[in-house]
Amino acid sequence: MPDTPIPTITADTIDDDTAIPAPPASVWRRIARVPITLYLGGALVSSFVFVALLSFVWTPYPPNHLNMSNRLEPPGTPGFLLGTDRAGRDVITELMLGARNSLYVSVVSTVVAMIIGTSIGLAIAGSNRYFQGPLTRLVDTGLALPGILTALVLAAKLGPGNTTATLAIIAWQIPVAARVTIGPARQVLALDFVEAAYGYGRRRSYILVRHVLRNISPLLIVLGSVMFAAAILIEAALAFLGVGVQPPTSSWGRFLSETQSLLEAAPFLMFFPGLAIVFTVLGFNLLGDGLRTVLDPQQARTGSS
Amino acid sequence: MAIADVDDMYFHYPRASLGAGDEGWTLCDISLAVHAGTTLGIVGESGSGKSTLIRVMCGLLHHQRGTVRFDGRDVGDFRGEDSKELRRKNQIVFQNPRRSLDPRMTIRRSLSEPMRALQGRRPDDDELIVSLEKVGLGREVLPRFPHQLSGGQLQRVGIARSLSVDPTILYADEPVSSLDVSVQAQVLNLLMDLRDELGLTLVMVSHDLGVVSRMCEEIIVMRNGRIVEAGRTDVVLTRPESSYTAALLVAARAASL
Amino acid sequence: MLEIRDLRVHIDGHEIIHIDELDLPAGTRLGLVGESGSGKTMTATAIAGLLPNEAKASGTVRFDGQDLLELNDAEFSKIRGKRIGFVFQDPARALNPMMRIGRQVSESIRLHTNLKRRAVNDKVLELLDQVQLPDPAALVRRYPHQLSGGQQQRVLIAAAIATDPELLIADEPTTALDVTVQEEILQLLISLSEQRNMSVLFVSHDLGVIRFVCDRVAVIYGGHVVETGCVEHVVSDPRHRYTAALLAANPGMPKDDDFASFMGQRLHTIPGHVPAVGKFPGGCRFRNRCEHASASCAEAPMPVTLGDGHRYSCWHPDGES
Repeated sequence: MPDTPIPTITADTIDDDTAIPAPPASVWRRIARVPITLYLGGALVSSFVFVALLSFVWTPYPPNHLNMSNRLEPPGTPGFLLGTDRAGRDVITELMLGARNSLYVSVVSTVVAMIIGTSIGLAIAGSNRYFQGPLTRLVDTGLALPGILTALVLAAKLGPGNTTATLAIIAWQIPVAARVTIGPARQVLALDFVEAAYGYGRRRSYILVRHVLRNISPLLIVLGSVMFAAAILIEAALAFLGVGVQPPTSSWGRFLSETQSLLEAAPFLMFFPGLAIVFTVLGFNLLGDGLRTVLDPQQARTGSS
Repeated sequence: MAIADVDDMYFHYPRASLGAGDEGWTLCDISLAVHAGTTLGIVGESGSGKSTLIRVMCGLLHHQRGTVRFDGRDVGDFRGEDSKELRRKNQIVFQNPRRSLDPRMTIRRSLSEPMRALQGRRPDDDELIVSLEKVGLGREVLPRFPHQLSGGQLQRVGIARSLSVDPTILYADEPVSSLDVSVQAQVLNLLMDLRDELGLTLVMVSHDLGVVSRMCEEIIVMRNGRIVEAGRTDVVLTRPESSYTAALLVAARAASL
Repeated sequence: MLEIRDLRVHIDGHEIIHIDELDLPAGTRLGLVGESGSGKTMTATAIAGLLPNEAKASGTVRFDGQDLLELNDAEFSKIRGKRIGFVFQDPARALNPMMRIGRQVSESIRLHTNLKRRAVNDKVLELLDQVQLPDPAALVRRYPHQLSGGQQQRVLIAAAIATDPELLIADEPTTALDVTVQEEILQLLISLSEQRNMSVLFVSHDLGVIRFVCDRVAVIYGGHVVETGCVEHVVSDPRHRYTAALLAANPGMPKDDDFASFMGQRLHTIPGHVPAVGKFPGGCRFRNRCEHASASCAEAPMPVTLGDGHRYSCWHPDGES
């Protein structure tokens, strides 16, 4: 409902009466209109998911198969396509195993943080004007809390591991999702069709979900991609600090942090977990971008983003 | 018999800082009555409070002082299921049709929203098509999204949406201001036809005296939140008592055909 | 002072504007009237040299003897802002909310002249006074949001005339303003035009406003000028069917003794809708929506000139016996 006096005359462009034809119905046309980002992103993400799942049934070498005589072999060594690490573990195997954890932690924490954070953001945006200010400041306080600290505290209580890392990332990211949601949600709430909805009897909760959420979804998709990227990197940082997964469990983050001390001895090693992270993040970004375009009723017409 | 009436009503927005006298109040000392079957025009410039007034009258905003009654009952008395009846009988058509429809809802869905919300039922396509035909649109707009329709078509959809639940009073907030002249003419004609066919009571907010002269038998002139003058349109606009009304007339006549 | 001959604007292979002939003598005010999609704004944009990159303009737009279409960007920038001023529709959006008024008005002065700071400031105060703003000295330190819509528009007009331009292009300058304020702003434009012998190209969808401000009018539909002439002649004796339809669709204001018949009278509407770009019919652009169209309208109508520069292009004009 309007909070400020309604302007009488708006300077909106006087609207014309030109009708736009309906989009083509043929299936092939619609497939052609799907943006390439969706295909690329989808391909990347599915390959990583596939690899992660595959690792449960097969890896080139058994997990944690130490091979002390073949330590730090460069890529191309027979039997070790991408080389071995400090303990002689095959890089490919390590990457596949790592995929499991990194994807699991990042995806779960991002999804949970987004669900909770967005709900909080929507609730605040729709709340009474008097409370909005203080509540938003509360969220800002959450943003200001150093995430690493939370992670360390959690690790102290629960011990290091996947769960700790996931919880830490969730705690870290909830205020981000909430804060980003509040502004756009408020903007949508100020729009005429929201007022119209109140006019025909809709309640605030319905409006928040059915109207506001849908209209900020492009933003949320982008937010999700960004948060996912952050999650992967945070997971790596936590692993480095010893708060995340511990050996012998594998993770890209842990792998990456190990390669730091080996820069002189085996400079090639850091590329592999690094590239894995880069391509996964890229994949989710492209997927998010493609999804955003496809889901927008206005974009679907032209097929361009 | 007055369908809606207002007595000594005062309204201010939630966080307005109230000062001495009437400072901070958006609407002051409003008293008026709307009679069944009539068309009332509310004119004024920006800041006059006319858009706010109709929102208070239909219950979307809550006044702080005075009484606002619908059908003899105080609007505050409509609680629970009754509040849906109040909503149903008082519908608003908004100024900018592109903004008053959710861009992510199909026309079919937007049209059926009032019935879903206020009558708890889902109309089928046939019923929606009847609504559309009343406003001069065809079934092909049902699956479309707002951005695929023109401004004139969207405004018709907005009108159809409001009329879908058989309101008693239709409040129109500058319904044609954001439309081209020729489209404006179409929508005004439509409103006149619908009003005559359905026996609708129409309350129209406008800054355009020409539009009001054509559509409304009664007129209220507002300025700075107060009613400056009220009465029959032909009387007020030919023999205005207030100098403000006279000034409005001069300015309107100067820049009109 | 402004002579347009055979101006054509193409976008994506579609010809969206074609103006055969349009003149604006010095010190006069010409109104360009049309609805959305008529091309009136694009015509003004083409004259101003501000067309988007995809648009290609051809023909001649002679400004004081010089063909504007032949200038490159750098040369045009010297003219734009100095000899051609602009006033746009929404004053709130045209003003920088973070800049004080004085600074914004002085921008074009500082850009196009060599005046020192003291002289510039004096000029700004003088301009604000000329547009009838109260207390200029205090106003220069204010921010846009502290002014009303009418005051903001006056500031923009002040900025536009700062360099004493010969031509002022105004695109819907009063559409967003209240009717009483509108009258004041229009009066201001008229007096400025007369005092400074400044031509005004006034673009609007409102024929009533144009009749108030302008001496002459050009009615645009589908990128073509369908009728042009002295404003009083065109309004009282419209020939082209579109002009007549526009006039009939206008709600207008009743005279004092006219109210009874005015009330409830249906307005005349134009069937159909403005076609999208590229979908206009060949020949007369209006023929698919015209009640008087016939087979001959498939051929572009020849312009007919009546007295006093009243010109129209229609095979079945209104008003002929």
